[in-house]
Order: sequence, then structure tokens, then C-alpha cells
Amino acid sequence: MSEMSRIVRTMTAIMFPFAMIYGLYVIAHGHLTPGGGFQGGAVVASACAMLLVAYGSKWVEEKIKEKNLSLLESVGAIGFIAIAFFGLFFGVAFFHNFLVGSDLLFGMVPAVGSTGANINTGGVLPLMNFAVGLKVIAGLFAIVLVMAYATTSFKEGKS
Amino acid sequence: MDLVEIIHIILPILIVASAVVSIYLKDLLAAVIALAAMSLLLSLEFYILQAPDVAIAEAGVGACLTTAIFVIAIRATKRKEDA
Amino acid sequence: MNQRTIAASVFFIIVAIFFILAAWSMRPFGAPDQSAMDDYIIQNTQEEAGANNGVTSVVFDYRGFDTLGEATILFTAVAGVIMILRREKHE
Repeated sequence: MSEMSRIVRTMTAIMFPFAMIYGLYVIAHGHLTPGGGFQGGAVVASACAMLLVAYGSKWVEEKIKEKNLSLLESVGAIGFIAIAFFGLFFGVAFFHNFLVGSDLLFGMVPAVGSTGANINTGGVLPLMNFAVGLKVIAGLFAIVLVMAYATTSFKEGKS
Repeated sequence: MDLVEIIHIILPILIVASAVVSIYLKDLLAAVIALAAMSLLLSLEFYILQAPDVAIAEAGVGACLTTAIFVIAIRATKRKEDA
Repeated sequence: MNQRTIAASVFFIIVAIFFILAAWSMRPFGAPDQSAMDDYIIQNTQEEAGANNGVTSVVFDYRGFDTLGEATILFTAVAGVIMILRREKHE
């Protein structure tokens, strides 16, 4: 898949950092504001797909390979299940929120009611958000990237 | 009848209208843009119904990723639909 | 008007009647029928899960197995797409 016109490339270069920052914000503040791992990952993967459509698959192929993307997705899935198993080892049950109320990272408990947001709360929820976000970013972008490669080889084979 | 109820009546009509437009367009790229507009209006409707999580997911997956996949598929094949 | 158009119109009218009846018997917005579970989660999610966002605490803490299934679905979909559409190395 070849690159598009100069107008599309310039607009993509302007819009890409904002979409990226918004998606990473949605992932990082998943336990405070609406959104979470899946929503923020979908936004970041949309930004990367926009870059792919505008700049062509040859340009993206130099930056990242699909093998690394599937590796990242597996890392996200393993991290998610590992945090769930940590709940079994350190707490009482599978998916138990063992970090809440402790002195470790993300261990604080907010006051009941509509309070101000503190990012150091939530127990294992932010870690699970990061794992699922990594998984969704890598997975959805790998789907689009592999489809772009497949259509490129299809067009070359036809002509 | 307050403003929110009027928006609740207008938005589904626009969603159905853009979906029907995307059926009748012969230019496939324009049909894909109409489908993306339908998805964006649907995410606005979710937001008005107080489900911002679903709205973000719908705007990311429905309005951008499927549009990117359709554009990739159209650029690998023909743009005009055979009448 | 041929027979197909009449059959399609009758089917459309029947489905439309069902949808209109379903919309007519819907409960008012923000007033669910059973609200015991909602009230429990809204009141206890901040001290049990430690998060201000109740939706995320439901998704990742109270109903974690649903998220595990969703992650499995996404992993399977990506694995299938990559397995089918991956470029061949033989030239």
C-alpha cells in the first residue's frame, strides 16, 4: 500500500500526537475517569492505523515489525493473567485486589463519596489497565498492519 | 420538551439516514465515510445516554479502525462499484 | 406489486410493531427494575476496590472473569488474522 497525498500526510502528522496523548491518558487514568485499557488502546491503535493509511506500509515496515507486535500482545496477556494469579498467591482468590489498603504502589484508599481524584489509588486496577492497554494496542494494530501487507502483496501479484 | 429530548429524536434519524446513504452510494470511499459518520453519531448518542466508556470504544473502533481497514481494502481493489 | 414485495412489507410491519411495543414498555431512564446490586456497588466500590471509577472496578475487580474472556477473544482473533494473512517468505 503506497502513501497518500501531501495534504493527508501533513494533517496526519499534526493530529497524530494529540490522538496518541489522549489514548495514553485514557489508559493511565483508567481508574479515575471514564475509559480504561480497552478504550485507550483502541484510541492509540486508531492513531497508529491513521499513520499507516497516510504514510503507506513500506514506511511503517521500517519502524516496526509484526513479529514484535505479536510479542508485545503476548506480553500484555501474560501480564494480565500473572496479576490475576498474584491475587491467588498473595490474597484469597483469583482476581483478588491484593494491593488495596497496603503501603505499596497504588495502595491508597479514597474517601467515600465524591472526592478529589488521587492517582495513587486503585490497587491492581491500574496495572491491569496497563496490561490490557498494551495487549489491545498491539493486537488491533497488528491486525491492520497484516491486512495492509497482505493487500500490498496481492496487488503486486496481480499486476 | 427540553433540548435533550429533541437531540434524542434527531440523532437516531441522522444515524438511520447516514446508514441508508452509505447503502445507495456508488463510490465506495464515500460510502465508507458515510459509515464512519454513522459510527461517530452513534458514539455521540451513547455519550448522551451517559455511557462515556462505550462512546470512547465506539469512536475508536467503529469510526477509525474499521474505516482504516475499509480504506486499505478499497485501495487494493476498485473504487467504483459496478452498477 | 409482486409477491415478494408484499411479503417483505408484511414482515417489515410485524418487526416494526414488535420494536415499537418494546420501546413503549421500556422503563424510564435511570430507574431500573432491580437496583440492589447497583446500590451495593455504588456505595462500596471506593473502599473495596479503591478506585473512584466504578465502571473500571466492576470490569477488572468484581467481574474479572468477563475481562479474562474478552482478552481471550481478542487474542484468538489476532492470532487467527495473523495466521491467515501473514506474508510468505518463499520467493
